[in-house]
Parts: sequence; structure tokens; C-alpha cells
Amino acid sequence: MLISLKNIFVNAGHVTLFTGRFFKEVLRPPFEIKEFLRQCYIIGYKSLPLVAITGFIMGLVLTLQSRPTLAEFGAESWLPGMVALSLIREIAPVITALICAGKIASGIGAELGSMKVTEQIDAMEVSAINPYKYLVVTRVLATTLMIPVLVVFADAIGIYGGYVGVNIHSDLNMFRYFQQVLDSLDFLDIIPATIKTFFFGFFIGLIGCYKGFTAANGTESVGKAANEAVVAASLTIFIIDMLAVQITDLFF
Amino acid sequence: MINEATNIKEPIAVDTTVPVITIKGLYKSFGKDNAVLNGVDLTVRKGENLVVLGKSGSGKSILIKCLVGLVTADTGEIKVFGTDINTLDNNELNAIRVRIGFLFQNSALYDSMTVRENLAFPLKRHSKKLSAEEVEAAVIEALDNVGLPDAVDKMPAELSGGMRKRIGLARTLILKPEIILYDEPTTGLDTITSREISELILAIQKKNKTTSIIITHDMACAKLTGDRLVILKDGVIDAEGNYEALEKSDDEWVRSFFI
Amino acid sequence: MKKESGFTWKLGMFVIIGLILFIGTIYFVGKQKNLFGNTFHLKAQFKTVSGLKEGNHVRFSGINIGTVNGIELITDTSVLVDLIIKKNVQKFIKTDAVARIGYDGLMGDKVLTITPGTGNAKTVGDNALITSKSAVEMADIMNSLKTSVDNAGIITGQLAEVSFKINNGNGALSKLISDDGFSNSIKGTLINLQASTDQFAKFTTNLNNGALSSKLDSTMSNLQSGTKGLSDNMDAVKNSFLLRGYFKKQKKAEAKKKADLKKAADLKKRNTLKDRINLKTKDIPNHSNLNAKDSIKQ
Repeated sequence: MLISLKNIFVNAGHVTLFTGRFFKEVLRPPFEIKEFLRQCYIIGYKSLPLVAITGFIMGLVLTLQSRPTLAEFGAESWLPGMVALSLIREIAPVITALICAGKIASGIGAELGSMKVTEQIDAMEVSAINPYKYLVVTRVLATTLMIPVLVVFADAIGIYGGYVGVNIHSDLNMFRYFQQVLDSLDFLDIIPATIKTFFFGFFIGLIGCYKGFTAANGTESVGKAANEAVVAASLTIFIIDMLAVQITDLFF
Repeated sequence: MINEATNIKEPIAVDTTVPVITIKGLYKSFGKDNAVLNGVDLTVRKGENLVVLGKSGSGKSILIKCLVGLVTADTGEIKVFGTDINTLDNNELNAIRVRIGFLFQNSALYDSMTVRENLAFPLKRHSKKLSAEEVEAAVIEALDNVGLPDAVDKMPAELSGGMRKRIGLARTLILKPEIILYDEPTTGLDTITSREISELILAIQKKNKTTSIIITHDMACAKLTGDRLVILKDGVIDAEGNYEALEKSDDEWVRSFFI
Repeated sequence: MKKESGFTWKLGMFVIIGLILFIGTIYFVGKQKNLFGNTFHLKAQFKTVSGLKEGNHVRFSGINIGTVNGIELITDTSVLVDLIIKKNVQKFIKTDAVARIGYDGLMGDKVLTITPGTGNAKTVGDNALITSKSAVEMADIMNSLKTSVDNAGIITGQLAEVSFKINNGNGALSKLISDDGFSNSIKGTLINLQASTDQFAKFTTNLNNGALSSKLDSTMSNLQSGTKGLSDNMDAVKNSFLLRGYFKKQKKAEAKKKADLKKAADLKKRNTLKDRINLKTKDIPNHSNLNAKDSIKQ
């Protein structure tokens, strides 16, 4: 009991140090710009199809599911606004982050884990290249900046999905639909939701890197690192989301 | 220190007076009861090939990882080029690391990069002034040195074990290190490839005047490459000498390595 | 190097499209809130703003022309409301325009409406204070509605009483409605009356022609019996007129009752809606808004 408690503290300490190291290294040259761009490409561009499909389906399904309830009150005209609001405030950020936790956090965890196991990280270290800077800083920065962009895409595609959903049952032209959507939006709907996604991205990258970077030796630990990265990142996303909503509620 | 038993090996000028690496009283343990190194004292002289023998898990790999700061020793002094690496900060340690090459057991090639990028990777980061053409020339030269100039655009996954070792060696050599640490360079290779790698190690010693520590279980490799051999047992240096001397040792345990 | 540029442009495209989408949304939402573009300020002072919030729409002749920018208590009984209004409608707002707080849609979202003044007055300046009329409170509406519903209750009660009496009583009215013979007799009387008047006409011509006094006696007796029937029937006719008036009144009362009931039902529906939907009321797009916006664009 005491030992497991101590282990929890030790782990928390390691995570804190790992995070602290990120902030220390991120500002210190040299910057691995090329690797950062490559990671942005892999994390951002390569995840786009997945995020686009999910976003579209979420928008479509949300519209179809909300319609009966709204129709009961004769308030079908609120559908575009409602769908856009739920997508932008909550669904698109969280779903995109979860998809990316599955795709990116596990990918990073497995990649760094296998690099650790096959001594590639040690090889960098002994050739006097800072592996943390090259592997961790670039990836964490890339996820921090790319997840918000992916979420913007998910928002846009999701709202388009909503448009398709609305048009299954009624006839609403595109211009008018988007005007209704814009009409229902407020800065307070967009800004906190966007800030939230940076945190999602940061933690997806950080957790993936941490799990991979601290993988034990042996092939089994690679799978374990990937698995733990997904679980921890998904959980963290929900916790951050809860905190973000609470904080937004508190101040606005 | 000339090994007369090998016909390939030619006399190499070993400056016995200048120690490049001095290890004194090195202790390292993992956990409470798992002492791996129990007071190792070792001196490596400039230009010599030192072979470290020992059973699996006797701490040979830990010993050379301590030399480059991958593993921090519990106590003990490790002097490389005259400076104690335990007292250095990160930047100073990196300055030393650039002068030391390390060949990993599994070559540790970066999977996500081509052979060219693997070789250029350390070079670009340490010699910033080099133009793209100079980097390319250095890469080709390093690959020529290990006899694999055609592999330049291949991914590590496409290479055989022996080729990976050679590419790993080329990547180590590209920074022109003064010391090379070989962690089981011939493990997992057939006898012919092993011999080729061993000859490569010798050739590098001759050409670059490097000092090397070679960890191996492969006695053919030890015989071919080693100017001096040490045997690690229970975390201390148990025996020391050249190949012939150890082969004829009184100690049966020492002799058991040579069977 | 070829490979590198291959991914760079894709990455660039990805990021730039993402940024355009984001900035575009911000811009359009900002435009909605009149943060960008030419605007001017107006001020209006109210005793109570009835829950008007910053960001609520400002309407002029039913068109959205701006938003509420700030609400500030200046004394314990007065609130100063600052409005941001599109510059291009300034020329239509005169100094005698009146600001009023009203309802926007079912959900009780507040809207500030500006009623145009007379054409003769001058155009308002920037930061001008325009007059205001106190808002109609929901509670007031409810109160007046309650009074009319109560009145309707009393009226229908009385009406029920009257109709009960008509149906079950034995008065002339009830006879008139329920007894077929009675109405037949009225009809007969009227026919008789016509016959007798015809006779009377004949009599008069005869009288005019002179020397018919011999027939006068018999005619007189005829007349006597006719007037007797007439006096009987006159009562019935009188009652029949009364009856018509009665029915008219009844019809009017019924129509009023119906209208009141409908009003009450609407109100109830409105309240249940309010309770059941937990949506942010301001988020609800309003068709009329849209229409207004379309037309303002044109």
C-alpha cells in the first residue's frame, strides 16, 4: 500500500520533471525546425482524413438526433444553431482529441518506445544530440499546434455534415444555413473551446512522448507504452475538458 | 604490444605512456542488492584496442555506458582525455561525447531515416558550417570506408544485420572520433561477416589512430582485434593480458573463455 | 530534397486552410456583433432594463442595426444603456426617436427597439442620448391577461345561467324557442293581419267611393277581431325582436370568450416551452432576424 502510494508520487514526480524539461528545452536553441515541420505534417495533415470523416458523421448524426426533440417544440429552425454550438463548444474538440489520442499518442508512444528499446535514443545521446529536443520537443510542439487546426477542420466539416443532415428532411439553402450558424455563435463559444484544444494537443503529445521515452527495455514494453499512452491521454482529455468547462463557467 | 600470433595484424604504434581513459574504483548498482560494477580499475592507452570479456550480465555494457555518461556511476572516477566526466555539466559532457564513438549492439540506426540521413544526422548538428555538398561527400566517404556505398538511399529496415553494423560504424566514424566503444560488434552475425567486421575494426584503428574498447563474446574477434584483453568477473577486473597470455593462464575460469 | 518539399506544401496548405476557417469564423461572428466596420454610439436611459443584456440586438423599424454595448447603473433608479449602431443607419435616426425594451421571440430574449421620430427633427449625433419609454414588463402583461380571463369567467357563468333559464323556464321566450305551434300561430296571425289589411284597403277604397256605410258595420266587427289578434301577436313580435337582440349579445360574448381562452392557452404554451428547453435563449436564431438581415443587405 505504502509502496504503491510512493510509486504514484515517484511517477508524478517524473511526469513533472519531464514536463518541466519541455518548457526548459523549448526556448533554448538549437531548434529542430525541420523535424518539427515533419512532425506537423505527420500529425496534422496525415490525421486530416480521419478527423474529417469523424467530424462529418458527428455533425450529421447530431442533426438527425436533435431534430425530433426540437420538432416537438416546433423549433426546427434552431437546428443549425444548436448543432453548430454543440459541435464547436464540445463535440468537435473532444472527439478530435480522442481520435488523435488514439492515433497520435499511441503512434508517438510506440515510436519512441521502440527507439528507446533499440537504443536509438541512447545513440542520439552519445553522439551529443539532445534526444529530448529532437524527439520530444518537436512532437509536443507539433501536437500542441496541430490539434487546434484539426479541430477547426472538424468544426467546419461537422457543421457541413449538419447542413447535409438538415437537408435530408427539409430544404434549406447553404447560405442561409451558414448564416443561421454564424448568427448563433458568440466569441464566448469559440475562444474557450479553441484554447482548450491547445491543452488537448499539448497533453496528447506529452503523454505519448513520456510513455515512449520512459519505456522499459524489451519489445513488450513498446506495446505497453503505446497502450498506456492512449489510455492516459484519453483520460486526461476528459479531465481537461471538465476543468475547462468549469473555468469557463466561473469567469463568464 | 604487438600480437605476433595474428598474421593480419601489423605492428601498430601504441603510445603506452598516454592514458586516454582512466577508471578508478568504479561502483554501480541497480537496486539494493544488485551490484554490477564493484570497483573497476582500468586504464586504456592511446591507440590501443582493449577487449573486454566477461559473462553475460557481468557489467561490460554498463562499463562503457558509464564512459559516455549514459549511465551515471555511483562512485568512482572516470577520466576521459584527462577530465573526470562525473564533474561535467551537459555541454561539457557533450563536447567529450563528440570525440567518442559508440557502436551499439543492434547498431541503433534511426528507423525513420534513410542511410544518408542517418549518417548526416550527427554531422549536420555538430559541423554546422558544412554545405550540403560537403555533407554528402562525407557521407559517401564514410560509406566507402565500410564498403557499402550503394546503401545510401536505403532504409535501415531493408538492410541485413551485417550491413546495419557497417552503417552503424560508418555513422560513428563520420564524426572522426578519437575513441570508439564497440558494444558486441559481431553478435548475431555469421562467422564470415563477423570476421569482416573485425577486420574493419582493425582497419579503422590503423587508419584513424583511434583508441577502442571492444566488448565481445566472440573469441575470434577478440583474437583478431585485441591488443590487450581484460576479463570482468563479479564486477571487477579479474584478469588482464594479451590473447596468448590469457589463453595459457593458470586460472581455469579464465582459460574457459578460450575453449 | 524533393521529398521534403512534397510534404511542406501539403502542410502549408493544411495550416493555411485551417487558419482561414478560424479567422473567417472570428471575423463573421465579430461582424455580427458589430465589432468591425463603421459604427457610432447612442445612449438611452431607463428606469429598468428588464434583464436586457450586453450583446442584445438593437432594432430600428424591425431591422437589426446594432447591439447593446454596455449597461451601467448611474443612480439607484436609472440605468444608462450604451448602444453600438451601424453608421449607415445614423441618418434615419432622429433626435426624437424613442428607445423601448421589448421581447425578441418566444424565449423571452430582450431586444431594444428604436421607434423612428418625426421626419422634421435633426439626425442624432454620436453618443447622443435619446428618449426612452419604460419597458412593458412581463408581469404587467400577465396581470392584465389575468383580469380579462377572470372577466371572461364571470361572463360565461352568467351566460350559462341565462341559457339554463331559457331552456328550462316557462316564459314566453322559452315557448318561442321550444313550441312549434306558437310560431305557427304567429305566422297565421301575420297572414290574417295581411288579409285584414287587404280588406281594410278595400274598405277604404269603398269608403272613398262613398255609400258603403251599410257594409261598415260588418267591417268594423272584422276590424275589431283583427285588432284583438294583433294585440295578442304584437307581444309575440316584440319578444321576437328582443330575442334577436339577445342572440346578438350572446354571440358577441361567445366570440370574446373564445379569444380570451386562446390567449390564455398561448401563454401557457409559452411558459411550458420556457421551462422545458434549457437552451441559451440568445443562441436561438430567429427567422425574422435573418429576414431583417437579408433585407438590410439589399
